[in-house]
Amino acid sequence: MNAEPRKINLEQWDREYARLRAAGMTEPVYGGPLSRHVADGDTRLLKLRYDNSPAALRLWNFLLTEEDRLRAARDDGKKLVGAMKDLGTVPVMAYSLDNLVAFYPDGAWWIPCVMELNTGLLQIADSLGIDESFCPVRAMLGAFITEAHFPLPDLLTCSVGATCDDFSAIAQRLNGLGHPILWWEIPHRRPAENGEQAVTLPGGFSAPQSQIDFVRSELSRVKAALEELASRSLDDDTLAAGIAKANLVRELLAQLRHLAFTAPLCPMPALEMLIAEMLAIHFCSDQDETILVLTDLLAEVTRRVAAGTGHLPADAARIFWVNPVADLQAMNLLEDCGGRMCGTEYLFAHALDPIPTTIPTMEALAQMALADPMVGSAFDRAARIVADIRRFGAEAVIVSRIPGASHCALEGEIIGQVVRETYGLPVLEIEVPSITDATQATLRTRLEALVETVKDRRER
Amino acid sequence: MTEPSRTIVYTCPYVPAEWIAAHGLQPRRLIPLPTDGATVAPRVEGLCPYARAFANDAAAENAAGIVVTTLCDQMRRVYDLLARGTRTPTFLLNVPKTWQTVAAQRMYLEELKRLGRFLVRLGGHAPSYNELAETMTQHVGWAASAISPVHDASVPIAVVGGPLMQRDRILFDLIEESGGRIALDATETGRRGQRRAFDRRRLTENPLMELADAYFSIPDASRRPNSELYSWLKNELTQTGVRGVVFHHYVWCDAWRAELARLKEWVGLPVLGLDSDGHDETDVARLRTRIRAFLEMLQ
Repeated sequence: MNAEPRKINLEQWDREYARLRAAGMTEPVYGGPLSRHVADGDTRLLKLRYDNSPAALRLWNFLLTEEDRLRAARDDGKKLVGAMKDLGTVPVMAYSLDNLVAFYPDGAWWIPCVMELNTGLLQIADSLGIDESFCPVRAMLGAFITEAHFPLPDLLTCSVGATCDDFSAIAQRLNGLGHPILWWEIPHRRPAENGEQAVTLPGGFSAPQSQIDFVRSELSRVKAALEELASRSLDDDTLAAGIAKANLVRELLAQLRHLAFTAPLCPMPALEMLIAEMLAIHFCSDQDETILVLTDLLAEVTRRVAAGTGHLPADAARIFWVNPVADLQAMNLLEDCGGRMCGTEYLFAHALDPIPTTIPTMEALAQMALADPMVGSAFDRAARIVADIRRFGAEAVIVSRIPGASHCALEGEIIGQVVRETYGLPVLEIEVPSITDATQATLRTRLEALVETVKDRRER
Repeated sequence: MTEPSRTIVYTCPYVPAEWIAAHGLQPRRLIPLPTDGATVAPRVEGLCPYARAFANDAAAENAAGIVVTTLCDQMRRVYDLLARGTRTPTFLLNVPKTWQTVAAQRMYLEELKRLGRFLVRLGGHAPSYNELAETMTQHVGWAASAISPVHDASVPIAVVGGPLMQRDRILFDLIEESGGRIALDATETGRRGQRRAFDRRRLTENPLMELADAYFSIPDASRRPNSELYSWLKNELTQTGVRGVVFHHYVWCDAWRAELARLKEWVGLPVLGLDSDGHDETDVARLRTRIRAFLEMLQ
């Protein structure tokens, strides 16, 4: 049933879909031709190019039906938890309780892209004083006002402290509009000082035990709120089972990333890999289905690697990408310019690391929260990026600035500096807005120049 | 041979000057000037001009140490530049954004103790409770003082916002020159950024606890939730009889920029929103015109 890897547009996908159905492809309940989402307003889909595998189709359909899943969960009597500014901690707790469903309201930052600014979410944010000087995640405010993209959650949590000011300010604006928020504090991660017990966190960063203790106490407040919402206790065994399931997702993604970034031929395009990685932080509102979607994707990638097939020429420039893009089309553009994704750091590298299972559960989650690359020094984050560059053999780095994001002003320079000092690799800093159409010619030129630089360096 | 500096430079209101002084060092709250000759922080898009100016001014000071806080993400990240770009020992004080829990209050207290250890490493000495209490008593005058009502023809104005650099104090001159009177300086570098008066009984019982409590209760836009800022403003605006609000923030200061629309909805008074990139000299002409128009409307 599986054809040779190809990138196809939406029209081609419709034909391919008919062929696959005729060949006996079965789909989950949310399946169907991708083009049907355009009727829902997802017009950016018309401009993207996709991997042609049934596994990729399932991934896309899973992503684009999240709202339906959330509404169905509510209809089934489940409670909804909006885990804001949370890259993989509160959802692990929430999904441990079978009558809770967690989602990521911040994910609304892709709505202006996917719906090509047709929803008016950014205009609503503007009207609330959250203008374009803020990160595109401000679209979330509009989504809360219109209630058209996700149902209002029964509980809203938000981490604050060592987080970006944009999101914190936007969440406060939301709070000021009457949405109660359970704020929990994540301190800036620092190294242990003399006399303090140092703990190595998952992923390799280090923090003093006192900070872990503090975060554990903060997460205990969140846990208590979840228990109250669920009307049941989240005991250690239940949480351990939830952690094991989250680790399964992380393990699948680790295998997927390893194969996708190191195979001689690129077995899965950057766009689908970006979507897959995002599943790690919130499970797209269905943790069990996430596991099935990733299992399918991994099987397809494994099959392609074994068969020696893939996308892009074998000499594609091996690029490491830092920060997620607001416009998904940037992922296509990289490949059009002769680049291939070989390593990523989309702000949540820690959510891809296994959660420790040999220590008490809440201690493990506290360690994970503190392992977030964004809560420490930009030099820490750069060190992790450098280690991953070596692991995946990248030849150049793209730091993709998020417009208006408070962390982007300085960290790109620091990351670039560390990469250059360590490996002497070329580094390109670009900015990717929600819709890149107006800047695409410039972006293309810059990406092509980077690819050319990589190839020149090979010949030297 | 010059004397080694005993000065500790900081700008954030959550750094207790008395704590530094009690360690035998000289606290200096640096209100920066925007400088073009960057030493550690370049002028880049997205970087708050205040954070940049502080980093560059602090780096240029002959200080024994620099204290930066996590009050905003920009300052937190500027710390990286200072720590790597200067020889001056630099300390990052974790100031919790949450404030309603005992854990957050305790964390702030523990951070002050950690700051104390840093000060000792710089040549300070760990103060006894009595020494600290004495220092706090000597510096009672640093606290926010009550405002006396003034009755004249000028229009009472509140200036609300984040910190102001030295040059941006011109805002006050322009308001007064246009027929206004600063009845309330609710900027971070003004009255709002000052701690409450110490409670003498608690000061005697446990001075460090009282110090932490007095500073931790400073209201700010960055606190979560920041409802205490609005409680404080409500009280102050009522007491001062303010008739208009001038709201100032620097470009790329998300915490304050986001509050402008909310303040307008909430305050029930005319609000003039002003932003500044902290560099542009032509700002003054634009500022003067806008402030005059605002004051004319209020007169």
